[in-house]
Formats: sequence, C-alpha cells, structure tokens
Amino acid sequence: MNPFASFRMPRTASGRKRGRNRGRSLGLLSPLALLLVLAACTGAAATPAPTITPTPTAVATAAPTATPAPAFPVTITDDEGTTVAVAAEPQRIVSLTPAATETLFAIGAGDRVAAKVEDISPFPPEADGLPVVATYQGVDIEQIVSLKADLVIAGGLGFTPPAAVAQLRSLGIPVIVLYAESVDEALAGIDAVGLASGRAEAASALTTAMRTEFDRLAALVQSSPRPLTFYEIDATSEIYTVPAGSLYDELLRLAGADPITTDASYQISLEKLITANPAVILLGDGGYTTPADVAARPNWSGIKAVVDGNIFPVNDTLITRPGPRLVDGLRALIAALHPEVQL
Amino acid sequence: MIRVDDVTALYRDRAALRDVSLRVDSGERVAIIGPNGAGKSTLLRVIAGLLRPVTGTVELGGERVDRLDRMVVARRLAVVPQLPVLPFATTVEEVVALGRLPHEHPVRGMRPADRAAVAAAIERVGVGHLLGRDARELSLGERQLVLLAMAVAQAAPVLVLDEPTVHLDLRHQVEVMELVEDLNTRDGTTILAVLHDLGLAAHFFPRLILLDRGRVVADGPPAEVLAPERIREVFGVDPAFVRLRP
Amino acid sequence: MVAASGLLLLAIALVAGIAAGSVAIAPTDTLGILARRVLGLELAPTWTVAAETIVMDLRLPRVLTAMVVGGGLAVAGAAFQGLLRNPLADPYVLGTASGAALGAAIAVLIPVRALILQFGLLHALAFIGALGAVFVVYRLSRVGSSAPMTSLLLTGYAVSSLLAAGLAMAMYLSGTGLRQIFAYLLGGFEAATWGRLAVAAPLILVAGLVILLRARSLNGMLLGEEAAAHLGIDVRRERALLLTMASLATAAAVAISGLIGFVGLVAPHVVRLLVGPNARLVLPLAALLGASLMVGADLLARLLGEIPVGVVTAVVGAPFFLALLRRAHSGYEL
Repeated sequence: MNPFASFRMPRTASGRKRGRNRGRSLGLLSPLALLLVLAACTGAAATPAPTITPTPTAVATAAPTATPAPAFPVTITDDEGTTVAVAAEPQRIVSLTPAATETLFAIGAGDRVAAKVEDISPFPPEADGLPVVATYQGVDIEQIVSLKADLVIAGGLGFTPPAAVAQLRSLGIPVIVLYAESVDEALAGIDAVGLASGRAEAASALTTAMRTEFDRLAALVQSSPRPLTFYEIDATSEIYTVPAGSLYDELLRLAGADPITTDASYQISLEKLITANPAVILLGDGGYTTPADVAARPNWSGIKAVVDGNIFPVNDTLITRPGPRLVDGLRALIAALHPEVQL
Repeated sequence: MIRVDDVTALYRDRAALRDVSLRVDSGERVAIIGPNGAGKSTLLRVIAGLLRPVTGTVELGGERVDRLDRMVVARRLAVVPQLPVLPFATTVEEVVALGRLPHEHPVRGMRPADRAAVAAAIERVGVGHLLGRDARELSLGERQLVLLAMAVAQAAPVLVLDEPTVHLDLRHQVEVMELVEDLNTRDGTTILAVLHDLGLAAHFFPRLILLDRGRVVADGPPAEVLAPERIREVFGVDPAFVRLRP
Repeated sequence: MVAASGLLLLAIALVAGIAAGSVAIAPTDTLGILARRVLGLELAPTWTVAAETIVMDLRLPRVLTAMVVGGGLAVAGAAFQGLLRNPLADPYVLGTASGAALGAAIAVLIPVRALILQFGLLHALAFIGALGAVFVVYRLSRVGSSAPMTSLLLTGYAVSSLLAAGLAMAMYLSGTGLRQIFAYLLGGFEAATWGRLAVAAPLILVAGLVILLRARSLNGMLLGEEAAAHLGIDVRRERALLLTMASLATAAAVAISGLIGFVGLVAPHVVRLLVGPNARLVLPLAALLGASLMVGADLLARLLGEIPVGVVTAVVGAPFFLALLRRAHSGYEL
C-alpha cells in the first residue's frame, strides 16, 4: 500500500469534469428525484459517473510486443492520474461501473469478471448471475477481498466512493478509476480496460470499429438541418438538461442536433427553456415520462416542439454509458432526430 | 492575615471601592455591613483574588493574593459561594466533598483524611439528614447550609461568607451565627462575613466594618460603628429599627 | 464494579464487532487470526489469506476506530457538559460539527486529489474547520461578557447557524460531490484503515487523557465558575485547556468518521445516572461506554447493510435517551 499515492486530475479533466452529473445529485433533494438518482447511479440509465473515461493516456510501460500474448506487468495511468500497476493477467476482476461490466464482456474478458456493481439496466445478460458487491449505498470491501479480486475497475467523480478506492488500494488491490466526458475519453476508457485485463487487442479492435461507426453515422447527418433540441434528463421537480461540453452534448451534436445546453449544474430554468423555444424535445427520462405528460405541463404548451408534437423518448442508458454500446446511443439519437436518414 | 491597602476596584466600569484599606488579623471575627451597592461583595471578591484592583494591593498571609496560585489561596481562604444552579443531579454529600478540592490528590481524588473532613463538616453544620438527597431538590435554606458545610470542609484558616443567612428562618439564622462564632472561638478560624442584618452583625461580631459608596466609613466595635446618627446618614432609616445588644 | 462492567461491555463489543461482517468467517477462525497476529501465537492457519486480510486490515482497524472515536466523543461531551454547565451540551455544541461539515464540503468542491498519510483534503479541511469554528466561537464570546459560558453557548449557536448556511451553499454547488458530502455528514467507519487510525488515535487519546487528568477542574466547575475559583481552580486557564482538548478530540474524531451524533451526549448522562457527577468517575466510564456504544452502533449499521452509523446512533439513541429520562424522573433530571 502506498500512502503517498497522489491523485492528479488528468490533463483532460480541466475542471469542468468535476461538475458532471450535478443535476442528478441535486435530485436527492426531492424523493422522486432520489429514485432517479438511485436509478441513475446504480444503473445504466444514468450511469452518471461511470462515465469511464480514460484519460487518453493509457500507457503500457511494458514493451509493446506484437505477439498475441499480452505483456504483464502493465502500468496504467487512470483518469484521476493515478498510476496503477497490474502485475499479472487478472483472473478475478471486479467491475464497479456498468460500463466496465459491458466492456469486459464485449472484449472477451467476461469469464474473468468475479463480481459487479448493481445495475438497474443490466447488460449483457451473461453478467446477470454475477455477485453484486456495490450499490448506490456503498462498496462491500469485505466481499471484494474475499473474492480475491486482482483488478477493480471503479467510476470516477465520486461514483465509486473515493474512500472505498483508497481502502482497496491500501489492501494492495489495483484499482483503475475511469470516467468519460467525451467520445474520445469513452474509447480511451475501453482501451484502458482492455490493457488492464490483458485484452488490449480485442479492446483496440472494438474501439477502432466504434470510431469508424461514429464517423460513418456522423457523416450521415452532417448536411441535415440541425433542429434546436432540448434533451430532458429529468423534470420531476427542477429541470435538468445537458451541460455544455459533456458527453451528452457531444453525442447530440454528432447526431445532428443543436442542443440547448446549460452549465455544470445540469439545471436550466423554465424561463430560459421557453425563451430558447426548442423544436425537438428528447426524453432521456422516457422510462417514466411520456410526450403527453410533457404537453400537459403548465407553461410548456407554447414551446415549438410541444406545438409540433416533436417529443421523442430515447434510451438514456445507451447515451450515458461510456461502454461498447455508445454507438447504439448515437444511432438512437439519429433515429429520433432524423427519421428520414437510412441507418 | 488579610491586608488591604489603598484598593480602588471597578465593578462594571464603575468604581465600587475607593482607596479602601483595612487589616483583619488572624483569629478575628469581622462583619462587613453597608447599604446595597456599598461595595461589600466587591470587597470580598478583591480579597479572594477574583477581582484585580485597579490600584492598591491585597495580601493574604503576608503574600500578595494576585501572585498566589489559586490552589494556595483556596487552602488559605474558603468562601461560601452564592447558590448555583447545579447542571446535574448532585447529592448533598457530593457537594460537601467539593470543599476538599484544594486538598485532595489532583488525579486520584479524596484520601481518607479528606473523607474524614467531609464527614466532620457534615456533622458540624448539621446536614447529615440530607446526605443522599439531590441538592437541587432542597429548599433554599437547606442549600445554604450545605454550601456552608462545603466551605467548612475546605478547612481554611479564613472563612468568608457573603450573606450566609438570607434564605434562613430565624432559628437557622441564629444557628448559623452560633456555628460561625464557634468556628472562630473554638477552631481559631478567621471569619469575614457580609451581613445585611445589622442586628445579627452587632450581636455576633465584635468588629464591624461599615462601607458606604465604596469607602470605609467606620471600623470598630458595633456600638461605635452603629451610632444612631451614622445609621441615619448611611442607611437613611430611623435608628430605632436597629436593636443593639446592650 | 461499574468499571468492570464497562470493560466487559467493551470487550464484548470488540469481539462482536470483529466477528460480524458481510463475509461470514467462522468465530474460531476469527479468534485464530487474532491469536496469531495480535498475540503472536504459533497457530497453523485453517483460514484463507482473504479471511486474514478481512479480519486484520478491515474489521480490526474499523472496530478500533469506532472505539477511539466513541470514547473520544463521550469524553469530549462530558467535558463540554461540565464546562458549559449545560446537560444538553454535546461535543458539537461550539460549532465543531458545522465547521467540520463546511470544511469537508469545501474540500469536495476543490478539484485537487491528494492523499497524505491516507488522509485526503476532506479530512484535513474537516479537522481544520472543526477547530477553526471553536476558535472563532471562543474569540467572539470573550468580547465584554460577564457570563462567559452562556455567551459561549449562544455564540456557538450563532456561528453554527452561519456555518450551516455555508454548508447548504456548498452542497448546492457541489454537483457530483453531493453524495460524498452527504456520506460524510452521516458518518461512518467503513473507510477505516490502520494508517488513518494511527494518525487520529494519538490525538484523541492524548486529548482524552489530558481531560481525564483535569477531572478536578471539571468537578470544581459544578458549582459555577466563581465557586470553582474559590475552590482553587484557575478558571480561565482550565477552561481554555479543557475547551482546547475537548475540541481537539472532537475535531480528530469528526475528521476520520464524519458527524455521528448522540454518543457524545448520551454516554456521559448514562454514566452520571449510575455513579453521580464526579468527573473522576464520569470521564473514564463515559469513555468505556461511548466506545462500546459506537462499536455496537457500527456493528448494527453493518448488519443492516452498511447504513450510516449516524442514523443508527440517532434512531437507537433518541428513544433510549427519552426512556432514560422518563424512568429516572425522580432521581435524575436535566
């Protein structure tokens, strides 16, 4: 254990990263919103923090050989800037973010996952039977120790409590903390998981394919009109939408939208929303809010999207979980925004 | 024993004592009298070292009281405190035992000698029947006796009392005065008491010090201090209200 | 007699605290691990390495931290009650809690992540905030006051309110950090490590010991400051010393475990009910009781699925306290 381990913010983090997901957390203040937070944080949908994002700097110190045998030990700089050494190919991996669970299964390391975080929108089905060692309430360190975990992948920005990360590290268990606030960071996170789990090549193949698909999809809508779009994260009490510069924001732009963004608080006032007058409303909270609900809200009836009936639910999980299905998220956004485009 | 030289002291930024000088020798029994606001309690506080005079000095046993450690002062001079509100349930015995604070072992607490002193004080003040009771449930008069027992247990050569009889009925007033007299004559304890009741003062104290507006205006035997014209002048009442022992 | 019961209670709490957890470890293995690692007996391990790590590096530091924090808060609570002569005083009465909370919240807002001796910015600012709040309260209360203890209490109340407003603002601004602040406010021992215990425990133990050795001063204050002075207590010096030590113990406790209420308030009262107000008895026994209660509360919190310890102490403590007051109405009132 290294008591002097230092956590630097990654270069890319640049302050605004810390503001991520503020809206959801504030939701704690109302009971319904609390449920949302639970949903969000433990699950897919909101996977707030599990935004895995690797700092783009996942660096193997071991000489990269071309042989298929992955070279261990590897040293990885995680998204908090912590240098983490993984001594040998991990056999009992604990995934503390839904995105990492998906990634590990997608790159063929699923059989070595020993336990996972609670996931309210579980994926893939193969992971269903895994023991759950973390919930929104906290991380069961004892279980992780007793499973003899040799690699833990945790979420940054407080998704995994920092105290739990510190404790696991003090017990000599390598912990990689990931979060993503852009597509690049999401892909770097997948590469980092690949490197740490000994599936670097599979991860690299996955991210290359994902990048190609991102480029292809983005090209499809490049010349389409860009509707002014309000993406609703939650409007149970306060109204929450996407912060400028977030992963949400980037995906919406890639999908050919002109998103109404807010600051790192995630909150936007109804006045601003009405003044902006969006042409399209996307319901990230479509699981419990219907277009009819939105139309029935007092003072929303004059908004262009409501008048025109352009209110569409989208699968929030796909958009916010920086795992292998992020391309599906972009696809879902394009399908909602530009139904005329052939995917 | 007690020596006050040219003391001027403030109470709430107002001169409560002006150029007060007095001496009380070992074994004396002295009552301080005077109208409200004369500076009696301030004088006691100055003598006990709780209030630092603006000018002048106070000596206790030949040493300046402001240079003595509080524990040393407490072993030389015991004060019957004003009635406090106790924050926790506290038995009478526990209150009396507080009088041994200046003598007990600082960490381990009371030694056998301390326990004996507590028992003796309880016996002497006559509060044995109250022992196990919560001091907060006692009448004002009973509490006053308990606090007197505490000061007696402190076993200091000087005992200072501030209005020790205000809450007592006549019989208890007399009993307390007799006890004070007994402590003085039998044990040699120097007594310094602030009294409102001029009759009790004159009856039980061979020497009175009369304060008025912060100054000592008379010091001597009762008959001399409580001259009718002085009573009229200082207290503003008909001297007939004050009955003196012939 | 009472002391022996207290020690027994603490021993039971210790064993139970180490024996229970989310992973089942046979009691014999638990004892075996402790015998081998703590007592140094040459036993052939019948247990896994993981079990040994869980007992030695997770549960033992956790239980010991709970003990030290519980004992420290109980002693600090007894000291504050005695000094302020107020039975409703607890270790947080002079702003320690709100100061620590604000410090922790500010730490969450600062985008710097550094660990020194396993302590993050949150712990450091919580500690500084707690001490800073008491210092400010103490200084403000001394301005021309004839009733210093009342003034201290009221100033503590005012400063706490102000800090609480700051905390609300910090929470509002905290974004993702809100959960972290919330977890801190509720308190807990799940993050306990040997390293943290090694830093906090000496502070709490030394401060507690100093208070224990000044029991005489606390006894003197029973009759008020003026009477204490007549009984030989240097009131200003003792008050400053005791306030400092009690605040130090509280700040260290709060920095490692967050805000855990009731133990510091209840433990001294229970002990006074049993042995009276003599601080020489109250302080050490309250330490034993506070330590046992805290380990018990933490155990309960763990068995209920890692709910916050602060919730357990409040949910168990409040009704218990009320029952105590009703039952003891004749002999003991606040």
